[in-house]
Amino acid sequence: MRRVAIVSAGESRFAVLEHSAEPGRTFDEILKWNTYGPLFRPLAVLVHQGVNWLVGLDRAADTAPDGGAVSPPLIVANALARALHASGRFEEIRALVREPVGEARRDIDAIARVTVPEWGLMRVRAGDPALVSAFADVRAQMAVPGTGVIVWDTSQDVTGPERLPLQSFKDRRFTRQQLVDLLERAGQRLASELLYAKGVEP
Amino acid sequence: MRPRRRATHRVLEVLALLLIAGGCTSMNTLDVGYPAAGANRATLGSIAPLRIEVGPVADRRVDAVRIGTAPNDGKDIVTSRPVPDIVHDALVTEIGKNGHAVVTGDKDVVLAPEVDEFWLDVVTGYPETHYVGRVAIALAVVNGRTGERVLVRRYVGIRRQLVEPDSVDARREVMDTALARTMRDLATDRALVTALSRLGQ
Repeated sequence: MRRVAIVSAGESRFAVLEHSAEPGRTFDEILKWNTYGPLFRPLAVLVHQGVNWLVGLDRAADTAPDGGAVSPPLIVANALARALHASGRFEEIRALVREPVGEARRDIDAIARVTVPEWGLMRVRAGDPALVSAFADVRAQMAVPGTGVIVWDTSQDVTGPERLPLQSFKDRRFTRQQLVDLLERAGQRLASELLYAKGVEP
Repeated sequence: MRPRRRATHRVLEVLALLLIAGGCTSMNTLDVGYPAAGANRATLGSIAPLRIEVGPVADRRVDAVRIGTAPNDGKDIVTSRPVPDIVHDALVTEIGKNGHAVVTGDKDVVLAPEVDEFWLDVVTGYPETHYVGRVAIALAVVNGRTGERVLVRRYVGIRRQLVEPDSVDARREVMDTALARTMRDLATDRALVTALSRLGQ
């Protein structure tokens, strides 16, 4: 695989995930005194998820970068392309926003498709205040054009190294920078995994 | 009859020992490591073989006593071996797997590692538990002949995972993966490989 095209694809959902134990734990405390409590537990789980989904939605609206300002798969794909190019292990690396067609497709050995199904902020440390990091769940799949044979497939959970109170992310410019840095890190992470999997001849 | 009874006793003794050993395995003691089976020959193996000395790992962690705190009882989460030894062994494995000789005498290169962070955060959710494992190491590359420090690189491996229920295996796997990610970043780091190849000339 000497000539590779990297295509950014798919929708990305911005989320603020807190992985909170409340109000589910309180429901459990109440239900354990009730004879029929275990019957209501699935309902408690649903209500817990619903409450936290609404809270997360609210927080996402407060912190998300302006619509269209950041394209997660594009940033990851570009960072991946730069890292692979810098590795010197490939003849040609092209980052594309759509599938190559015609001559462009015939000239390449493999197409890597990069998606970022979910990205945003996530609670990574309990406490007061709880600490939050930028995160992205990224996926890359490399296939041979023509045959469609998949030669590499990976899913990576990528987390920002900085941990800050959620309050810090009220500053949208700061949040945007943290998220962009994280997406670049995700591209480098994918490159490391691909280069590692590719190996070298002894 | 007697040999059969003796054999039964032996089997019961072994079972009892297994139960005791199992009971002693604490939920808060993790056997973290970097198995050679998971290591690959990568960019680091693309240069001529070197004689590399891996120096002792300096422990620069803010909290060197533990690697985390259990959320339920507040007890320390610890590793079954000292963290510097875990990092040292991981480096030796990665360097060896990439075709270089790990030596203590005549050497081309000395790697002076330090561990800055080796930590497991446990966030209790409902019903699952969220783990975030972090390993941060710094690596100084020193010319083995002149003692000159030629490069310092930092690697941070982070792994997060949602798990239900909380288990010692999940905790260990999170830390194993965080450590493996630092090793993979190191083994594919072009700047490190370039510096090493110059020292081999």
